[in-house]
Amino acid sequence: MDFNWSNAVTRQFLRAWGLAAVSAAVSMPAPTAEELFLGTVQPILKQQCLGCHGEGNIFAKLDLRTRESFVKGGERGPAIVAGDPDSSLLMAAIDHAGELQMPPGGPEKRLPEDVRNAFREWIAAGAPFVSGESAEKWEFEEADLWAFRPVKNAEPPTEGVDLTGVRTPIDSFVQAKLAELGIQPAPRADKLTLIRRVTYGLTGLPPTPEEVEAFLGDDTEGAFKKVVDRLLDSPRYGERWGRHWLDVTRYADTAGYSNDFERPNAWRYRDYVIRSFNNDKPYDRFVLEQIAGDELFPSESEAIIATGFLRAGPWEHTGMSVAAVTRQLFLDDVTHHVGQTFLGLTLGCARCHDHKFDPIPTKDYYRFQAVFSKTAFARRPLNFLPSEATDGFAEGRAPFEARLVEVERRMNDLHEAARERLAREKGPEAVAKAGSGVLQRYMDKEQAELLKLLRKRVTMHKLSMLRFEPLAMTVSNGLVSEWDAVASRNSYMKEQDYETATTHVLVGGDIKSPAQEVSPGALEAVERYAGLPAPEFPDAIEGQRSALAEWIADPRNPLTARVMVNRIWQYHFGRGLAANANNFGKMGKKPTHPELLDWLATFFVDHGWSVKALHRVILFSEAYQRDGSHPDSELVNRGDPENLLLARFSPRRLGAEELRDSIIAVAGELSDLFGGPGTYPQINTDVARQPRHAMGTVRPVYESEPTRIRRNRRSIYSFQQRSLIDPMIEVFNGANPDLTCERRDSSTVPTQAFALLNSEQSRDMALIMTGRLSALPPDRQVDTAFRLAYGRGPSEEEVGWTTEFLTKMSDHYGRNPAPPRQPPDDVVHHITSELTGEKFEFVQPAYAGPYEHNPHPSESSPETRALADLALALFNSNEFVYVY
Amino acid sequence: MLTARPSRREFVYHSGMGLGAIALSALLQRNRARASVLSPRPGHHAAKAKSCIFLLMEGGPSHIDTIDPKSKLVDLHMTEFVKENTKFEASMNTGKRYYVRSPFEFRRAGQVGIEINAKLRQFADCVDDVCFYRGLQATSVNHPTALYHINTGNRFGGDPAIGSWVTYGLGTENQNLPGFVVLPDLAYPQGGAANWSNGFLPAHYQGTPLRPAGSPVLDMSPPEYVTETQQRETLNLLGKLNRRHMAQHPDHQELSARIESYELAFRMQAEMPEAINIDSEQEETKQLYGVGSENSEVDSIGRRCLLARRLVERGVRFVQVIVSGWDSHDYIEKAHGSRLDAIDQPFAGLLKDLKRTGMLDETLVVWAGEFGRSPDNGVRGGGTAWGRDHNAPAMGFWMAGGDAPRGKIVGATDETGRSAIEAVHPIRDMHVTLLHLLGLDDTELTYFAQGRDKQLSQTGGQLIEELIA
Repeated sequence: MDFNWSNAVTRQFLRAWGLAAVSAAVSMPAPTAEELFLGTVQPILKQQCLGCHGEGNIFAKLDLRTRESFVKGGERGPAIVAGDPDSSLLMAAIDHAGELQMPPGGPEKRLPEDVRNAFREWIAAGAPFVSGESAEKWEFEEADLWAFRPVKNAEPPTEGVDLTGVRTPIDSFVQAKLAELGIQPAPRADKLTLIRRVTYGLTGLPPTPEEVEAFLGDDTEGAFKKVVDRLLDSPRYGERWGRHWLDVTRYADTAGYSNDFERPNAWRYRDYVIRSFNNDKPYDRFVLEQIAGDELFPSESEAIIATGFLRAGPWEHTGMSVAAVTRQLFLDDVTHHVGQTFLGLTLGCARCHDHKFDPIPTKDYYRFQAVFSKTAFARRPLNFLPSEATDGFAEGRAPFEARLVEVERRMNDLHEAARERLAREKGPEAVAKAGSGVLQRYMDKEQAELLKLLRKRVTMHKLSMLRFEPLAMTVSNGLVSEWDAVASRNSYMKEQDYETATTHVLVGGDIKSPAQEVSPGALEAVERYAGLPAPEFPDAIEGQRSALAEWIADPRNPLTARVMVNRIWQYHFGRGLAANANNFGKMGKKPTHPELLDWLATFFVDHGWSVKALHRVILFSEAYQRDGSHPDSELVNRGDPENLLLARFSPRRLGAEELRDSIIAVAGELSDLFGGPGTYPQINTDVARQPRHAMGTVRPVYESEPTRIRRNRRSIYSFQQRSLIDPMIEVFNGANPDLTCERRDSSTVPTQAFALLNSEQSRDMALIMTGRLSALPPDRQVDTAFRLAYGRGPSEEEVGWTTEFLTKMSDHYGRNPAPPRQPPDDVVHHITSELTGEKFEFVQPAYAGPYEHNPHPSESSPETRALADLALALFNSNEFVYVY
Repeated sequence: MLTARPSRREFVYHSGMGLGAIALSALLQRNRARASVLSPRPGHHAAKAKSCIFLLMEGGPSHIDTIDPKSKLVDLHMTEFVKENTKFEASMNTGKRYYVRSPFEFRRAGQVGIEINAKLRQFADCVDDVCFYRGLQATSVNHPTALYHINTGNRFGGDPAIGSWVTYGLGTENQNLPGFVVLPDLAYPQGGAANWSNGFLPAHYQGTPLRPAGSPVLDMSPPEYVTETQQRETLNLLGKLNRRHMAQHPDHQELSARIESYELAFRMQAEMPEAINIDSEQEETKQLYGVGSENSEVDSIGRRCLLARRLVERGVRFVQVIVSGWDSHDYIEKAHGSRLDAIDQPFAGLLKDLKRTGMLDETLVVWAGEFGRSPDNGVRGGGTAWGRDHNAPAMGFWMAGGDAPRGKIVGATDETGRSAIEAVHPIRDMHVTLLHLLGLDDTELTYFAQGRDKQLSQTGGQLIEELIA
């Protein structure tokens, strides 16, 4: 054989480690097992083995792609015994020591001795698999690297573009593409359609009849601009656009998993997001604050609250989980989601192996992760800002206080009973010394089980009361002794552990298999393809996140602005220019209008990263204002069935929160309470009363707010419990708070019909809406109902149908009065004790406090009930549920 | 104090709704059978089983005290148990721990001669139809993550449940019932509805929990004050409004789909009461399952097993029955004892009934928890209150029906039951195998999400050949 494996492999190894300049003559320390793997084992596997054992074929059921599959082996048993080359079948095979000889083809195919020795040493050292490859060694199609290339300064095209249809530069780009297909765009939508579209788009609510009327009556040039300005100035705007951002960042008020404990101060992050949109916070600043606000702007409360972003994912540490593992769970979560949120990259794919599609080696993943290795959870005192809503605190706090008093009273009773028994059995002096541990032994099994349940409730209610305290859910660099480390119930890392925390590449993503240590870093590919230099990371524990955040928010970062403008475009048009808002890598859909995307990104940065400026340039475009149907629909459907080129506007179904909020708004019930801790809307009674396990016991039942004004707030203010999603939100494709949601689905399933037609929430709102109608003269009632729901009056035909309907139903209700409201039952929990296996019942009495009921049909006149049915039909109708 | 209450009629699965069924017909223009995302479709290869009943034992049943007894533990009883590697142990799991023997008696059963807990008297008659598998290993010893793992293949939740994948792969035979039904205990398991979530698959494949009391599907029936006339007239008016609107938007395809979803809802509303009405079964059949038993848990589980059979019979693709209460850290004799008493007749009844009706050939029945239990008593309770800790390296699992082997024991655990040592496979391989037994190939059953083609096994797994007849 004239090819010298050893030298070629060594050269490759040197290159891979950036040592190409080092002369081969220089004596080097013996390579580590990881280096042997990268330098020799992996290249040989790729060149000689994987063709039959892993890529395409898996002969003899042997897959040599992962360490796990090595160890598992194939038909002949394990390929290797880690640490023992002499017992490893693979060694026997490559040594040609027995019947099995690999690679096949006789003695001339036998690998050279030094290569086989490398395998031997590698197995002896435990056979670590590791990825440290530099992305430059892979080959990528230029087309798949588009998002890593610098943003181009694209000029709006003029060739072949009918300038009469161009209102903003956006139209030039869109027209040029349409012209290529010979499609004329649809005409502009009528004004009613337009105001409904833009009002939903910017605020997630329908326009009021007065707003519609004002716009329809305004024939001036700037009429539409006036509407846009008004909507962008409305606090409702931040509530809508904040929701979009919370979809991406997976906001919830609880931590998920077994206990799903509350994160009592998370709401301040939610409100921060809403305020940021309302105040048009420059997006680069928004990025900096969420990743490193505590470091960069330590004196600004906003920036401290912003870092709640880093902790938004589900996370739990209990006595049953492994400290190192839950810490790693956080690190993986934050690594993946910073990449996903700001860079549109699926970094998590590179956790166990180099990214299969994008130029992200595993080493980059762990370098990125190293930035967060000193980041600790902190709950720290932080005064409320004047802009934060604290006025509802007393009302919000009262029910928790009452519940806490109640459970503590019941606990006291149990302890008292135990004390009495102790005194009887052991004398009064024993009681004086008895702590709760002793007392528990003087309870029967039922009492002990009840005590466990009550204790958990004390924890839960006390957590809930922390919502009203001036505390922030944030992070720190290492533990800060005067702050609460939050997870301190099971404090899983000591202060010095943070100081010295190191990050290693984890083989197969497994914390038990650390390989080489890495230092903080960003993504090599961005430097290579876009020329943005890598950030300079300080050695100090402070400032590492800042360096990464500044690198992300750098105008030269090719991903950041593109990702955000694409998200904004998507929320207006229903589809991003690049259709996968969270994935700008190879597997994401390529942009339909790459030059337009770049033009928007440039515009965005040039306008101080102003989201509102971007809204204006989009909303004022002809492309946005087109009609939802096209005069030549056949041509469009043939040439561009998915409407990618925007010859018309794509209608959309209302999102879950929009639908709920709209029904409440049209009913006249939507409260304009702004911000503050999450509140409890009316939800399906069966679900509210459904017993649910927490670790070791059952949770309290869900109780809706006692007052209507607090029940009927916008959905973004609903308390977001990961283990109990409002079924009305869930069934209409609400975002799963455990996963980042790049775009809402809008599937149509029969259970939606049940929710919208049969639920008490829908029916109650329909009855409430009659409050706006009943006092009107009969001929105005139908007209007003239509204007509230659709923004238009009824047609003559519709007047006929509804009048006939109202008459018939009033008559029916005159003869069929509704039965009275049923008081709620107590809720009975059945518990099988984890401790004893005994079965218990626990009764949670029905809520007895003052409760402001919704109106009930039994208290309503036949005419009112009939009107409510009309309202219900409107809520369920397609015209209400779709935006054109 | 805990209050004694009269037994509530729970798990009755009676319809509770006489109205509305006819009412929605106002929307039904014609009863079209249109191809939908749920239409039945062939799998990737031929398989006998057409549907699956997955009996999920929440809490981690002890394999050692049920179907994999260890006489060695009698010798080791109350000798110290030292865990191999405690670096990655939970904080609760440090301290001295002792081997404990099983407090139960065991008896050999069937031709297969498996030793099982003597409390499983009726199930003992069925063991020759069952394939017991002792090589399975979980990964997590934490309930919610382990539950997510066995149910969705992903320990951290958010991925589609196995029932969603199967329904996605095969569609469902009955368009008027959900394709994937969950029959939970009264209390939802840890992790909640994420255990039957459709994850990133379209919402059509979401598991529908049937509620044992009240309206079986949320809001399937309107509030009690709604009259049939009211429902019919409201829908009539809605139909007129929608038709007029559709005429103005002839190009908007989604409109008819949404109108149709109300028709589907109507058909579900019409068919569900009959499907869940187990009172219509023969008295003898009900007794077979333990329905009406004095032990209210036998009754409750029996009702759900009988309901599972009725649903599968009517073309539901995947039914999951959840029985909780297996987390016996202490007093395992009592805790597991009551579980075993509760499941014996219902599960045996299910197997016997499926067999005699010929349905067992087409129905795969699976029994599993989220992990097994350890040969030691953990650190809780001490020697007088034997229990067992969570254990991932060995667990209990059996299945029956379809192409599953009948009367076979596959794999083995070590002499203490701590770890599987023969035919050892991780959960993903079990998932690949279950899909295979239902005619699906894990590597072909993929859905593009989060940047790649996702699959139940996450990144691929291996078929456990021994579990295929």
